[in-house]
Amino acid sequence: MSSIGLFHYLMVATLMFSIGFVGVLIRKNTLVIYMCLELMLVASTIALVAFSRFNGTMDGNVFVFFILTVAAAEVAVGLAIIVALFRRRQTVQVEELNALKN
Amino acid sequence: MEPTQIALYTLLSPLVSAVVIALFFRRNGTIAATISVASAAVVAAGGLMLAYGGHRFDASMEWFRFYDFGMSLGFKFDDLAALMIAIVGVVGFCVHLFSLGYMADDEAKARFFGGLSIFMFSMLGIVLADNLFMMFVFWELVGFSSYLLINHYCLKQSAAEASKKAFIVNRVGDFGFLIGILMCYGVYGTVNFSELAMATTGGAVVATAIPLLLFCGALGKSAQMPLHIWLPDAMEGPTPVSALIHAATMVAAGIYMLCRIEMLMVADALQVIMWVGTVTALYAALCAVVQRDIKKVLAYSTLSQLGYMVAAFGLGAGQTDSGALFSVGAAAAMFHLTTHAFFKALLFLGSGSVIHGCHHEQDMFKMGGLIKKMPLTAITMLIGGLAIGGLPFVTAGFFSKDAILHLAQVTNPAVFGILVFTAVLTTFYMVRMWKLTFLGAPRSDSASHAHEGGFMTMQLPLIILAVLSIFGGYTHGALGFVYGHSFEGIWSQIPHPESLVGVVILSLAILGIGGGLAWVLYPSGDKDGLETQVPGAFAVLTLLKESFDKVYTYYVAKVQDRFAMLLNFIDQILIAGLIIRGLAGFVGLFGLGARALHVGSLHAYVYWFLLGIVMLWGFAGGLF
Amino acid sequence: MSDIIFHVFAFLTIGSSVAVVINHNAVNSALAFLVGLFGVAGLFVLLDSFLLAVLMILVYAGAVVALFLFIIMLLDMKGGERKAFSKPTAIAGLIGAALLAVCSTSLAKGFNLLPPADAASVIPVGATLRNYADQLFTVYLLPVQVVGFLLLIAMLGVIVLSKKFEGLEDVK
Repeated sequence: MSSIGLFHYLMVATLMFSIGFVGVLIRKNTLVIYMCLELMLVASTIALVAFSRFNGTMDGNVFVFFILTVAAAEVAVGLAIIVALFRRRQTVQVEELNALKN
Repeated sequence: MEPTQIALYTLLSPLVSAVVIALFFRRNGTIAATISVASAAVVAAGGLMLAYGGHRFDASMEWFRFYDFGMSLGFKFDDLAALMIAIVGVVGFCVHLFSLGYMADDEAKARFFGGLSIFMFSMLGIVLADNLFMMFVFWELVGFSSYLLINHYCLKQSAAEASKKAFIVNRVGDFGFLIGILMCYGVYGTVNFSELAMATTGGAVVATAIPLLLFCGALGKSAQMPLHIWLPDAMEGPTPVSALIHAATMVAAGIYMLCRIEMLMVADALQVIMWVGTVTALYAALCAVVQRDIKKVLAYSTLSQLGYMVAAFGLGAGQTDSGALFSVGAAAAMFHLTTHAFFKALLFLGSGSVIHGCHHEQDMFKMGGLIKKMPLTAITMLIGGLAIGGLPFVTAGFFSKDAILHLAQVTNPAVFGILVFTAVLTTFYMVRMWKLTFLGAPRSDSASHAHEGGFMTMQLPLIILAVLSIFGGYTHGALGFVYGHSFEGIWSQIPHPESLVGVVILSLAILGIGGGLAWVLYPSGDKDGLETQVPGAFAVLTLLKESFDKVYTYYVAKVQDRFAMLLNFIDQILIAGLIIRGLAGFVGLFGLGARALHVGSLHAYVYWFLLGIVMLWGFAGGLF
Repeated sequence: MSDIIFHVFAFLTIGSSVAVVINHNAVNSALAFLVGLFGVAGLFVLLDSFLLAVLMILVYAGAVVALFLFIIMLLDMKGGERKAFSKPTAIAGLIGAALLAVCSTSLAKGFNLLPPADAASVIPVGATLRNYADQLFTVYLLPVQVVGFLLLIAMLGVIVLSKKFEGLEDVK
């Protein structure tokens, strides 16, 4: 039997989440920030499936379905917004998108 | 209708009138005047109904309660209150009527009549009050009404100064009054007059300080020394105001209050009161001798007569016959207050008629020969002058003044001597005033074109008051129809010395000396006869008045103004600046801090998210 | 055996995540993301959710990443912009990482509450397609409808957002 338990999967999920978060903090390119957001979502799916497997229920798996769907829709709309923003501002560097200042 | 209801309506009708005028009729002087005169009529009718209907009652209701301190409002309607309400009602109505004519061409009539109504309300409150707190409330209200009315000609700087002075000096007296009330409450646990009477029966009065402090209120309101300085300046107000407030009613409130608290008096306090009154009487009479303005003469005369009343109270308040509700002193003081109200109001209204006729000329040395132009005024003022001088048996002033002199004679000969001398001076300046105003040739244009006022409004009150000045002295007997048997509680205590021949001779002597001297010294010329004939005395007398004012000016400039500047500093810089704006600034700092968060940078916002997540995670993980 | 596989896929996932974050070039980041998704799919297989593994590849790797790449290309990046990480950014990143590490440690502290590492014994309900359908169409029917609606709205939103708006010069 394997000695890989719930903890290992959760560790992976946590690490991935943290890396994604740090990526959001560090990167200046809006698209890359968005990708790091997706990383965080994926990390949460790993955690959900792991819990579902180790508790013997279906709920976590089914929820991942929804997360997948929502992530897809969100990416579509978000990228459309970014494209519109690019058309307006000719840039996707986050530092220059500061019209809400003060 | 029940007596309490009548009393309530009488009390509230001037208030209603004032409120209505203030809210709706600020511009329409005629309607305002009508409303005010109507309310004065209601007051007079109600007061006379209560006084002569024999209703004597006590009623009270609790206004608020704060743990075990309760303040109640109520009516204490005994003979004393009945007498006062009759005086206030009758004299008030006469003055209201007179004002219709006198203020007919004034621009701010509505304000004036509103002020008169507020004053009537406040005065009635003092008269009807059954405890010291309520009386204090209305005391202050009366002071406020006086301030309002003295400042009627508000565009004149002197009027503004005079009203301020009146209010502030009254405040000083009221400070002592308030401390006295608090001490009274602390010692006796109550400030209700009836309860105080029960608490002090058997002569158990605890402290001398209480009556003296309460007397401070009378010092301020009745203008005794050293707080007398506001009354002469208060003549800046219109003449009806002087007649009502500063002659007949408000200044008499001090005497009324003294009579109310006489159960608290001790012998030492009474000595002080007596001497204060005597000195005031003498000083004021001396100052009156050299005045040029007709109203100032009457003002000092009022001061002097108030001194008489206070001295009378001090002389006789210790002597209470068993079974009597009031002492001899209180009775004598109240009697003189009544007759004084009548003849002083008469004199003031007469002078108002003169001033109105001479187109607001107030200097006596510019009048003269008015007896031909204004005969009714001349005759009524003659009656008033003889009343204040005390013509035996005919005028009311004789009975009241000689009651006081008799009381002084049997109690304290020194005071008696001073009061007799003051009586001589009184007659002197009264005859001087009358002669300068009415006899001789007119000394100016306005005097030669003088005319009487309208009959219904200006002359009728004079006639009413003249009649009262003659018949107001008969408290018993066939001619006692003015009072009937309604005020037995007080009138029974008055000393009646007029049966003594010596008293009659003394009165005639006083009249003769004073009047004769005045007649001789003032041959109706332009100059002040005293000044030309006896310049030394004139200079001394003028100096008397000026020096007192100088002391006060010095005190105000050096002590009071500096203290006021210190308080101003504390208020503006410490309180307003540091504490209030500081606190506001502190809140503003929070705003600045919150503003700093909105940098527009996505990363900054995400960092705040991180902070939040870390904290949540930490909590969940049990780190903190 | 499964241990080694697990470790391989775990390192793959973590490694490609780091690559996403660190790469200067946006296209490189997208491709690293793609590799990471393969790692995640492997992990799902190890967790006996075969359907989900395939779905991840299909939906995420096939659609989402492709979309990302399209947009990256569309927005005409200046090649591989070699904008170096500025110092404040690096420091901020370190702080962020440190904070998150602290939180992970707290997770580890509470670990003795988790059930024992005996994966194989716990399969009362397997992740088969039948079970998925069972749950989706009975217990979770409402969320399915809502998500369908959400997809409709997203589609409409994207269409609207892609239009060119005239006359909005004041929004700079």
